[in-house]
Amino acid sequence: MPEATTTDGAAETTPQRRGGRARENDLGLGVGLRNTHFDHILAERPAVDWFEAISENFMDSGGRPGAVLREIARHYPVVLHGVSLSIGSTDPIDRGYVRRLRRLAEEVDARWVSDHLCWTGVLGINSHDLLPLPLNAEVLAHVTSRVHAVQELLGRSLVLENPSTYLRFRDSDVSEPDFLRALCDATGCRLLLDVNNVYVSCYNAGTDPQAYLDAFPFERVVQLHLAGHQHCGTHIVDTHDRPVSDAVWALFAHAWQRSAGAATLLEWDGDVPAFARVHAEVLRAKEFMAAVAGQSAPVDAVASGPWARDSAADQALSTPVDFLVPDVMGRSRLQTA
Amino acid sequence: MSVVAPRLQALQRWMLDALIAPESADRAAVEQHVQPGARIDAAACLGIYRRSYVLRLRRCLAEQFPATRHALGAPLFDDFADSYLRDCPSDSTTLYELGRRYPGWLEANRPDRDAPEDQREDWIDFLVDLATYERELFHLFDAAGHEGQSWPDACADDRDLVLQPCLALAQYRYPVAWYYHEVRAGRAPAFPPCADSCVVVLRRDYHTTTYPVSGLHYRFLAQLRQSGSIAAALDDIAGWTGRTSAAVRESWAAEVRQAWIEAGFFVNRGG
Repeated sequence: MPEATTTDGAAETTPQRRGGRARENDLGLGVGLRNTHFDHILAERPAVDWFEAISENFMDSGGRPGAVLREIARHYPVVLHGVSLSIGSTDPIDRGYVRRLRRLAEEVDARWVSDHLCWTGVLGINSHDLLPLPLNAEVLAHVTSRVHAVQELLGRSLVLENPSTYLRFRDSDVSEPDFLRALCDATGCRLLLDVNNVYVSCYNAGTDPQAYLDAFPFERVVQLHLAGHQHCGTHIVDTHDRPVSDAVWALFAHAWQRSAGAATLLEWDGDVPAFARVHAEVLRAKEFMAAVAGQSAPVDAVASGPWARDSAADQALSTPVDFLVPDVMGRSRLQTA
Repeated sequence: MSVVAPRLQALQRWMLDALIAPESADRAAVEQHVQPGARIDAAACLGIYRRSYVLRLRRCLAEQFPATRHALGAPLFDDFADSYLRDCPSDSTTLYELGRRYPGWLEANRPDRDAPEDQREDWIDFLVDLATYERELFHLFDAAGHEGQSWPDACADDRDLVLQPCLALAQYRYPVAWYYHEVRAGRAPAFPPCADSCVVVLRRDYHTTTYPVSGLHYRFLAQLRQSGSIAAALDDIAGWTGRTSAAVRESWAAEVRQAWIEAGFFVNRGG
């Protein structure tokens, strides 16, 4: 396993490692595994702490994606991150899907298996989006029962992520941090806190991201997510197609400290640049981690000024998934006489 | 057992309908279920999900059918994609299956589907064949294959050879494999004239290769797939062509066998 490195390649340890405290979630700074980077990773074996693989891209793979993941898992810690568990759906749990997920997790020795607090479809239809749930007692009971069932099938606790949201239902009467806390208490599941999603959802709802973090059950957090977003003026879309914004970095510093240095990962899914650029972006986290380590008081995370704005755009796409589709054409040829 | 959540179930059915068939959700229904956002109303909040649903899956379909998109042009491809996604929304946990029904949908929705076969538009036949070929390539890309295991060589006995698991036989009315690879090369191929084509598509070392084959070779491989026996397939060819069994076997051994073994058509029986 490669050592965590600084941008100039020098080995460095996280605060937990310096303290000699080995924890399950002490993975350091990781990068989301994307098809377009396969060749680079296999050839160069970059000094990345760990990778997060999209479960559905690999769990049924008889071809190159599965082979690449198995090879990467020989050299790096791997976490599985799903987008189709649909833990909040009212459809029956897809037990075959969960069993295949368990098989893959065992095959690559996944450190944990995560998905989202959402639903992706109903009546057998998959929207391939991470759709929001109303947050209330009925839904908490529903999701609790399903988390129990999934954890039993997986043979391990599930890790759930707060999704980015663009609407709230009138039927909601519980905050997301309180909902997640109650879900964790009832099921023993753990959490992936997506700091960018906090920023996006709070902006869209007109709520305070700092208050969200203040209420969040950090004792359950094993992982943090970072990503870029597109500010459209009236709302923000979680596009994963650009660098992390300054405001999200500020939130990250706070979240990283509160989570006692949880494993941190950058997602870059649209207009994916070269691997080195993606890696450099997640390594920026070290600046904020160092600032936190040098302070006795928590970082004042959230800028109190007006929300920074990108230019408005009508084409911002939430939850991009086309990066999941492999470049079949690039690996095809026609044998001519 | 899952806790029954009737209100949630009704809400999810309503929202999914609103995404797939936007006209099904009127403003009053939206406002009944959805709070306004901080700066936009409830309909605009839902609209972010609606727009992303279509754009997201349209892009995925375009990635899976790049040559069909080239042939149709982006605007028409997108129109077809939107209709397809409405008629055949994804029913799988993986996006790899998104285009599974697309060739069949094109055939079922062709505007001349009720016309006699000899009066149908040939460019639609071409599109259906091209989409079928692209789907086959996409399927083989990630299907179970033989990588990581040993391959037979020319010394192998015919009785030990079977077709490898990641191999497809296909017949088309147009040279769609040629068209696809012209697009891959960055050229702008013209709509090709009708010409029956038989191909073997196989994956070896995680590269997919299309081999044009003659009608005779196609029949031989189809017989081999059916019977699992090279000898039986050669006998079929002898009967079909009227040539002697010895002549067919000589041709197989001298002209075909080694090249096909080296190309990865075969694996050893039993792995």
